[in-house]
Amino acid sequence: MPSMNAKKCWRGLHAIVIVSMLVNVATAEDWPCWRGPRHDGISRESISPETWPAAGPAIAWRAMVGIGFSAVSIVADRGYTIGNQENVDTIYCLDSESGRVRWKHSYESALEPKFFEGGPTSTPTVADDTVYVLGRWGDLFAFDAHNGAVRWNINVAREANVRIPGWGFAGSPLVVGDLLLLNVGEAGTAIRRATGEIAWTSADRDAGYATPVPLVRDGRPLAIIASGKSYLAVDVQSGRELWRQRWLVQYGCTAADAIVAGEHVFLSSGYTRGAALLRWTDTQPDVVWKSKLMRNQLNASVLIDEFLYGIDGNDDEETSLKCMEFSTGEVRWSQPGFGLGSLTAAADKLLVLSDEGHLTVVAASPASFQPLAEAKVLDGKCWTAPVLANGRIYVRSASGDIACVDVRRAAQE
Amino acid sequence: MTLNRRHFLQATSTASLALAGAPFVHAGSKDKKYRTALIGSGWWGMNLLQGAIAAGNTKVVALCDVDADTLELAAETVTDLSGDEPRSYRDFRELLSKEQVDIAIIATPDHWHALPAIAAIEAGAHVLLEKPTGHTILESRATLNAAKSAGRVVQVGLHRRLGPHYAHAMEFLKQGRAGEIGLVNMFVHGGGGAELPAPNSEPPEGLDWNMYCGPAPLRPFNRKIHPGGFRNFLDFANGQLGDWGVHWLDQVLWWTDEKYPRHIYSTGGRPIRGAAVLNDNEQTTDAPDSQVAVFQFESFTATWEHRQFAGQGAEKTRIGCYFNGTKGTVHVGWRDGWTFYPANGKDPEIHEDAQLEEPDGHSISLLWTDFIRAIESGQPPACDIEIGHRATSMSLLGMLSLKLGRGVAWDGDRERVIGDDDANRLLRREYRAPWVYPKA
Ligand SMILES: NC(=O)c1ccc[n+]([C@@H]2O[C@H](COP(=O)([O-])OP(=O)(O)OC[C@H]3O[C@@H](n4cnc5c(N)ncnc54)[C@H](O)[C@@H]3O)[C@@H](O)[C@H]2O)c1
Repeated sequence: MPSMNAKKCWRGLHAIVIVSMLVNVATAEDWPCWRGPRHDGISRESISPETWPAAGPAIAWRAMVGIGFSAVSIVADRGYTIGNQENVDTIYCLDSESGRVRWKHSYESALEPKFFEGGPTSTPTVADDTVYVLGRWGDLFAFDAHNGAVRWNINVAREANVRIPGWGFAGSPLVVGDLLLLNVGEAGTAIRRATGEIAWTSADRDAGYATPVPLVRDGRPLAIIASGKSYLAVDVQSGRELWRQRWLVQYGCTAADAIVAGEHVFLSSGYTRGAALLRWTDTQPDVVWKSKLMRNQLNASVLIDEFLYGIDGNDDEETSLKCMEFSTGEVRWSQPGFGLGSLTAAADKLLVLSDEGHLTVVAASPASFQPLAEAKVLDGKCWTAPVLANGRIYVRSASGDIACVDVRRAAQE
Repeated sequence: MTLNRRHFLQATSTASLALAGAPFVHAGSKDKKYRTALIGSGWWGMNLLQGAIAAGNTKVVALCDVDADTLELAAETVTDLSGDEPRSYRDFRELLSKEQVDIAIIATPDHWHALPAIAAIEAGAHVLLEKPTGHTILESRATLNAAKSAGRVVQVGLHRRLGPHYAHAMEFLKQGRAGEIGLVNMFVHGGGGAELPAPNSEPPEGLDWNMYCGPAPLRPFNRKIHPGGFRNFLDFANGQLGDWGVHWLDQVLWWTDEKYPRHIYSTGGRPIRGAAVLNDNEQTTDAPDSQVAVFQFESFTATWEHRQFAGQGAEKTRIGCYFNGTKGTVHVGWRDGWTFYPANGKDPEIHEDAQLEEPDGHSISLLWTDFIRAIESGQPPACDIEIGHRATSMSLLGMLSLKLGRGVAWDGDRERVIGDDDANRLLRREYRAPWVYPKA
């Protein structure tokens, strides 16, 4: 590794201290929305792959929820996800111990399997005993998390009078204070959580497919939104656009969530696009670097201690898991074999789910690719990022099989 | 978001190479650089063009598409891969009038194959034309005639005549090692279910929808159509038989000495997807979700079957042809290579894996090399327009019988249906003005 300057070194150390403190304190945490509580794809829970039995950790339960790509959101003892059967979407509330269905709610929704299996592509968001769900064709629901009662329901595309992008809405709802921010319209749409009314909306142009990513600057809540042809920064309260970075991708497939770190915003897409690191300014952001060596076609990377870890490449092509230095875009290592998989981090480890259902624990280290454990957990295509919450890993396949993998230490001993 | 299938990818291995750091990839170092233009710069067009760039004997001078974003991305990719800075056009007529083009690559939707191909030939270009060579049979015939009278090479995108495993399977068959072949079954199966309509909408910004529809009827824009979805709409294409079908029909025509089937009968429909919808507010696709076609040759029968439900079903494979002979069955497949299943169960199976270029499993570099060889040698290319025309006609005859609801007797020498005026009317279609049906 090249030598680090003192300041960077200190920052690294600082991060390590924080992480190890958290491991001791926060041994379990919920995962209430896509990319988790801090919207970065990183859980503070640590896992101990060295305790995994040779045959892999126990599968606590399996469930079948129908075709789709929705991940599972977990709050306390319940998980929420969506699937499609025969042109009907169903949101399931599952018991996280047993997989038993606590409640469910169905609504008509076209499968539309154009170039893929189809079905829902967003993940439910849970906040304050309410579950928010955005279907591909604009059906937006607020459910009582306890019993599934519909608090309100609108079709947001119709109410906001904005078009639906070619593959439907895929961004998950983002809760910011009293508002629900959606990747609907060119620069998002905000809904009042209490009533389902539209607070503001944006131009009738294609949305992209990523989830809005929140940040705060000068005390103001902002968000980065992936639109059809750019990534934009908006003020969450007013909907005012602060800047946009033009970002043309084949099929308008701006799918990977932006990664925000201090002054920097990292963007990446698949096909021929690649990645860029932006630095925030008062006006248009500066481009720090661009690279074609990290193409996150569907799922975003995670940023851990100044290094990005993500799947580079496109479906049906050689892809690899890569470690890339955030500040420079330099690739530290590259490991093929995960297909168009996805990943989530558990503190200082990566949980990588290959597109064929192998779950591999990998050290989040720029030094080298170090696999720590592996288990086959699902069959069939898996494009949905795994979720770790309260000692259980939730994975799902495109056809809708869900496996709950018990990685609590107790379960291994 | 989650989109998939080979379809969804564009960067080829050449792209990855360039992305990995080599700025310009020039595999060959021939002096001659063919001034090349691409018309239809979507998924497959860019696969073809990247194959051409990788061969090192092209200079990409122009790109054409009716979708401005697609065009911009294509131009960027070309510059990344080759350093060339092609000019961009929305209208192929303008492109052909302003540019000196040695080679035109045409990869528009099927209803837009004939007119640009003929215009390119008339402008003096050699053409790499995607299959099918026409949306109706007389378009294909007109393209063939134009090529012959101008003496231009037209290579059709039937790369399955060049891929090694297809060639080896064909050798095996032609040596008689499967015995005498009496029946060929061609099939492409997949999964699927009922289809709901999607709402019509404004065309995406930057898409010239009027030009996209071109000679076909102008219908409301729908996300199911573009990009890539046109193949399931009969105004723009001919469903699975007109898409995948052409490749497998061509394998049969490659194997047999006969030039065309004598009788054709097809039936099928949308029992699973449901009745097609097209109104002011919404639409579904309208191609059949399942179809059977019987092609009666003099010395054998060939059948086509596709379904878009039940997945692989009870078979070992879901794509390809079975050549059934007295000594056994040869399955010519795609990603699963080819396999001989001997009639005598005690004999060993023979199998060869596929050798394909990725992504998307094709043999474009071989197709391109053969095309250039034909241009330089004056010898016909492996997938000459004549060959493409025959395979296309066979698939379109299946569609014609399906639409007509009865079987037809085909005089392939005169290219007329025998004794059926209604059928003969379907050899062509009405064009939307100002477009004029080409003269065959
Ligand atoms: N040989 C093969 O193996 C193979 C494989 C795939 C596709 N194809 C053929 O390639 C063709 C294109 O298919 P695709 O999947 O790439 O579709 P696509 O939708 O991705 O691309 C077609 C492009 O043509 C553009 N277009 C439409 N009208 C045009 C016009 N008048 N002028 C210029 N551009 C126009 C569209 O905007 C689009 O970008 C089809 O005919 C298909 O049969 C062949």
